[in-house]
Amino acid sequence: MEEKSTTSANEMKIIGFLCNWCSYGGADTAGVSRLKQPTDLRVIRIPCTGRMDPLFVLKALISGIDGVLVSGCHPKDCHYAVGNFYARRRLEVLKEFLPFLGIDADRFHYTWVSASEGQRWQEVVTEFSQRIHELGRNPGVGTKTKTENSVEAY
Amino acid sequence: MWNEITEKLHEVLRNVMPQVDVVLGWERGFNPLRIKPVVVRSEKDISRLVWNPFCVQNLTGYLVKNPAVIAGEGKKVAVCVKGCDSRSLVALIQEHFLDRDRLLIIGVPCQGTIDWRLVMKKIGNTTTVFNAHIEDGILRIEHSGGLEQMSIESVLLRRCLRCAYPNPVIYDVLIGETVTPRIDKSELYRNVAQFEQKSLEERRNFWIDVLSRCVRCYACRNACPLCICQDWCIAERRDPKWVTQRPTIKDIFIFHSIHALHLAGRCTECGECERVCPVGIPVMFIKEKLNEINLRLFSYEAGLDPQAVPPLLTFNPHEAGI
Ligand code: SF4
Ligand code: SF4
Ligand code: SF4
Repeated sequence: MEEKSTTSANEMKIIGFLCNWCSYGGADTAGVSRLKQPTDLRVIRIPCTGRMDPLFVLKALISGIDGVLVSGCHPKDCHYAVGNFYARRRLEVLKEFLPFLGIDADRFHYTWVSASEGQRWQEVVTEFSQRIHELGRNPGVGTKTKTENSVEAY
Repeated sequence: MWNEITEKLHEVLRNVMPQVDVVLGWERGFNPLRIKPVVVRSEKDISRLVWNPFCVQNLTGYLVKNPAVIAGEGKKVAVCVKGCDSRSLVALIQEHFLDRDRLLIIGVPCQGTIDWRLVMKKIGNTTTVFNAHIEDGILRIEHSGGLEQMSIESVLLRRCLRCAYPNPVIYDVLIGETVTPRIDKSELYRNVAQFEQKSLEERRNFWIDVLSRCVRCYACRNACPLCICQDWCIAERRDPKWVTQRPTIKDIFIFHSIHALHLAGRCTECGECERVCPVGIPVMFIKEKLNEINLRLFSYEAGLDPQAVPPLLTFNPHEAGI
């Protein structure tokens, strides 16, 4: 606990979509164990990565969100048996597609963390946050136009 | 040659008419360059149908979008399809939007379809076209400014220049002789590969540049035979609100992301989205990338096998590396 925590001035906007059954629990475990985590992640809880519409990621990145992390149960451990099997195909296709539109695929990461893996969660989120800090701000697309849906409204 | 094939088409249709309730085909429009879709219900109207390189429309969307063309009890719909259109049929059958048994598919091998806008550009946009004649790959146009000749290749739609499936992949009757594809399957995504030589920022700027012309008329989506949601399309729903009505580039990007991702692993590259765009945006190019990914990751090409399941509608627990 010696090092200084990230200050809000250089905080990045990172969204984490975590599945209710595994990764959300994993993040909780990390918290309960008082493992230090970067503060730039905003968590959105989803019922299952099978609920993960790749458009959530695209919309966020187009809107200028700096990074998007999706995490769910390990393959074969899905609460609904197969949700993450569908998810990994969709998310992999998305990851390969992003650069075609000129969006850096490094701003998006998907992975699997179980409810007991507090330590692993800490590593995943720290690494991803570091990576986003290295990449810097996401220019997004047309985010300079202020609209009610623009990044300022997030 | 086209007259002969058209006559053959009439003959075939007259023969099958007893099993058929409606025929979906093409007829001449207000000038020889413009063909329009037509629905024919009686034998006497069969003579209205034509088949030639101006028959650009993919008619399969009419079978699934309201008010859909459907046949009465025990009868079939006869539908005319080019190679690309036939793949849309396969995709619609795969996803159970169409019942194969209720279709009588008239396949027409295709030598490429013509972009009337390119023709008009060549002959001067203000002239009136009286006659168009194609022989041995040469298009001869009689118009108010005189006579003009051009090679078919110079006025083809982009989808036809990169077509690897000119012959229908599913049909009951085939009219005319099969043709040799313009390109080999291995070359399908060379433009995608070329585009990927550009830097991320160049790619982003390219799309901002071309998509900023988009007026969000949604013609691309409306013409897409696989965009069957119509009034339920999430691009137009307010709840959840994916796109606003504001004309910002961001909203345009999100709209195109919606269309592209909803077609991921389903798009058969029929090119209708691109053909109908009033401002000439290469809309299909976005989907080509998604198809390239699906081919590489899942060895899947859409619209070829009626029994296959599109890769994003299924999964494989054993696949590694994903
Ligand atoms: S048809 Fe063209 S202008 Fe219309 S919404 Fe599609 S891309 Fe935009
Ligand atoms: S997205 Fe375009 S090319 Fe693909 S099926 Fe739809 S209309 Fe055809
Ligand atoms: S873009 Fe998506 S929601 Fe809209 S009609 Fe097409 S498939 Fe349906």
